[in-house]
Amino acid sequence: MWNFVFRRFLVAIPTLLLISVLIFGVIQLQPGGFLENMLDDPRVSRETVETIRRQYGLDQPIWVQYLSWLGGFVRGDFGYSFLNNRPVAGLIWERLGWTVFLALLTILATWVVAIPLGIYTALRRHGLGATVANLIGYFGLATPDFLVALLLIFAVLSSGGTNVGGLFSPQYIDAPWSWEKFKDMLAHLWIPLIVIGLDGTASIMRQMRANMLDVLTQDYIRTARSKGLSERVVLWKHAVRNAINPLISIAGLTLPNLISSTIIASIVLNLPTIGPFLYQSLLDKDQYVVMALLMLSAILLMIGNLLADLALAWADPRIRYE
Amino acid sequence: MTTRKALWLLSFVTLGALASAQPKVVSGYENGKPGGTLTMALSSAPQTMFYYGAIDSAIQTLANQMFDGLIEYNYKTYQIEPALAASWTITGESKVYTFKLRKGVKWSDGRDLTADDVVFTYTQIVANPEAKGGDAGNFAGVKIEKVDASTVRFTLPKPAPAFIHYMRLPIMPKHKLVSFSQEGGKKPGDINNAWPTNVDPDEVVGTGPFKLQSYTAGQKVTLVKNPNYWKRDADGTPLPYLDRLEFLIIPDSQAQVAQFLAGNIGQLNITGTDFPTLKQREVQGAPIRVVQFRALFGSPPHLAFNFDDKNPELATLFRKTDFRRAIQSAVNRKRIIDDVYNGLAELPGNGMAPVSEWYYDTTKLLGSYDLAAANAALDKLGLKKGPDGIRLLPSGKPLEFTLTYGSNSSTFAAIATIIQNDLKAIGVKANLQGILSANLLGTGRGKDWDAIILGFGDQPDPELRTPIWKPGGDLYYWHQSTQPTTPNGQPQFNNFLPWEKEIYDLWEKAASTTNQTQRKALYDRWQAIFAREAMVIMIAKAYAVGAVSTKYGNYIYSLGVIPGYNPVTIMYQK
Repeated sequence: MWNFVFRRFLVAIPTLLLISVLIFGVIQLQPGGFLENMLDDPRVSRETVETIRRQYGLDQPIWVQYLSWLGGFVRGDFGYSFLNNRPVAGLIWERLGWTVFLALLTILATWVVAIPLGIYTALRRHGLGATVANLIGYFGLATPDFLVALLLIFAVLSSGGTNVGGLFSPQYIDAPWSWEKFKDMLAHLWIPLIVIGLDGTASIMRQMRANMLDVLTQDYIRTARSKGLSERVVLWKHAVRNAINPLISIAGLTLPNLISSTIIASIVLNLPTIGPFLYQSLLDKDQYVVMALLMLSAILLMIGNLLADLALAWADPRIRYE
Repeated sequence: MTTRKALWLLSFVTLGALASAQPKVVSGYENGKPGGTLTMALSSAPQTMFYYGAIDSAIQTLANQMFDGLIEYNYKTYQIEPALAASWTITGESKVYTFKLRKGVKWSDGRDLTADDVVFTYTQIVANPEAKGGDAGNFAGVKIEKVDASTVRFTLPKPAPAFIHYMRLPIMPKHKLVSFSQEGGKKPGDINNAWPTNVDPDEVVGTGPFKLQSYTAGQKVTLVKNPNYWKRDADGTPLPYLDRLEFLIIPDSQAQVAQFLAGNIGQLNITGTDFPTLKQREVQGAPIRVVQFRALFGSPPHLAFNFDDKNPELATLFRKTDFRRAIQSAVNRKRIIDDVYNGLAELPGNGMAPVSEWYYDTTKLLGSYDLAAANAALDKLGLKKGPDGIRLLPSGKPLEFTLTYGSNSSTFAAIATIIQNDLKAIGVKANLQGILSANLLGTGRGKDWDAIILGFGDQPDPELRTPIWKPGGDLYYWHQSTQPTTPNGQPQFNNFLPWEKEIYDLWEKAASTTNQTQRKALYDRWQAIFAREAMVIMIAKAYAVGAVSTKYGNYIYSLGVIPGYNPVTIMYQK
């Protein structure tokens, strides 16, 4: 198996190189430049803009910019943010905590809710509960997350609430941790959990349901039942274990969502995650921040895929990577 | 030394300091009570805590609260008033400015403000061409020297009547920043590394009403009252009244409004678009006040045509004043003011805000919305209508061009649609092209556009906007063939239109005239020509609209980012 992991690692290198060239190229293709906008400030003359362009190394040919970035990246230096005059790594680090926290929490909540619901709706296909769950699921799939966010904010405001964005009330943002702060966070947290998690919950629930329905009609289930196994064993040992396999592969793909999936929802809900930071950097053409974040996203995707493949091998004895 | 002796000495020193201190008294407003917190919104996270380290609206807003310039603007009249400088003289044929510093001003860490700080700020930072937020262009050739501990002298190479406005730039503490400067042995570009966002807040020392307490990355900046601040109210109570100022970082304007309605934000600048919602709440009895002011600052949109269009036929047409005036007759300013700004705008000035003392009344020259007249004027230019109702150029091609606008600005997008519709009615086909507002200026300064809707910020003195309105300037983007071919070179006079030469001469003359009446006359003449020629078609000047919780008193609207204009100092919590 280690052989397999090593080979995957080797394949990842050229893939990442290709991705980095693509990202760099796309950033360069973006029209306009943020430097021009500075000219509206009476302080700024054209000479200043040229000076800044030189300070950033933007007067160098594009391939020189790319290679010097690549050289740094290989050595673990993610580059320098033009706008913040600081190394990119520190800027990402400052925002990473909440991002990972929110993402893991939503992924966890999504799976904990979606898998049992998927099984339930498959077993009670025509029951009232399943119909309601399906309806909510369709709504979750069909509604863009920012719209859900706006609707929830509107609902909170209409009912006289004050928790309409962010993870804390203003006075708790920079306060030390306390029981009050924790309660305040819980009072804010449910909105982002619903907004970010609804879409994923709905789609995983639908897939789990479809897989279950598929598996339940298989011959081996009938065999198991005719052997006289209890329904519980049939369900959990034979049906669910087979139905969940495809979802493990999907789980691997959710890892890069840590960075990029929640951009719009985070802006609307004003969450302190990396999403809005990436968006602003894209607008400002802060190219090394964008490169670092997108490369991180690509690396997470590869790691996620690898982990999913390994998990699959562990969960399904039929799959072996030799 | 015994304790008693020390105490005596201390009280003596304190008395001495008090006697020589020169606090500025701000009168004409309610006397508030000290204490309280005000929370406001920032649209983006600060890129640095060093004002001159970036062109960044967030740090401009924060720096306004933490630092002061030598001069500042009056809250009501926008007249120049003393700030860190208690007084000044202008001598030597208007070339020598001598500033006397206010006595007893202390930095927030207790050190005295001295002439060294002022000289350091201007020589090492402002005039440093590598400082990203510096202003080396306007300080080229200016000699800056310390006369004594509280006197600074600026000697200009030639008279510059608007020079005094540059004196509102924030003064920085030499004792904290010298280690980043050339004087401290560093490279010129290293000054930009001062005070990054993860700096120890105690390092960020200022003279302003508030000082930095903490910054939570991407979420919140907290400022606390600077006990050493040098302003007093009419009763002698030290300003500011407020103990804390909090800025929540909220990029989305709808999210800002939601936070304001939820009571998490105490004051918010809004646009005409949000006005109806908020005003309705106020009328229904919500504890908020929505106020509007005629604004001096802010960026009124204009419609510009590319005199150097890649299509020579269009370029020829766009250079014709009669064409631009015909288009102007089809711009329905009244509808734009009513529909787009919800009535919260006025007819625009030409280069100066109508509320400004420099404004010359050009309303007559702006003409009125009259499609019949526009049609007649275009007929007269020989642009016959084709079978589909679109006018034809002399070559027989339809009169068609792209109209570029900022798609993520609700106002620009709406204005573009209204103009497009009215142009269609006079047989002119404008194809809308929406781009990110952030890229508008960059596109305008390039060659790939025909017509564009753009806005430049108004300033209190026309001279400050020379690069925009003086033909051949860096931002005179609608006629780029007038711009110099080499940096700092002469404009290409041979490409000037006759009226552009006239404007150029007026600006040249005004730049070296120091007599206020004469300057006003010159700039009046410029505004008249600007309007007569419809150089660019000014569309509307929005009012400033602000919303504030009724918890606060002495609220005055402020754009937030204008150095030398900070009315938050006198706000108080009831």
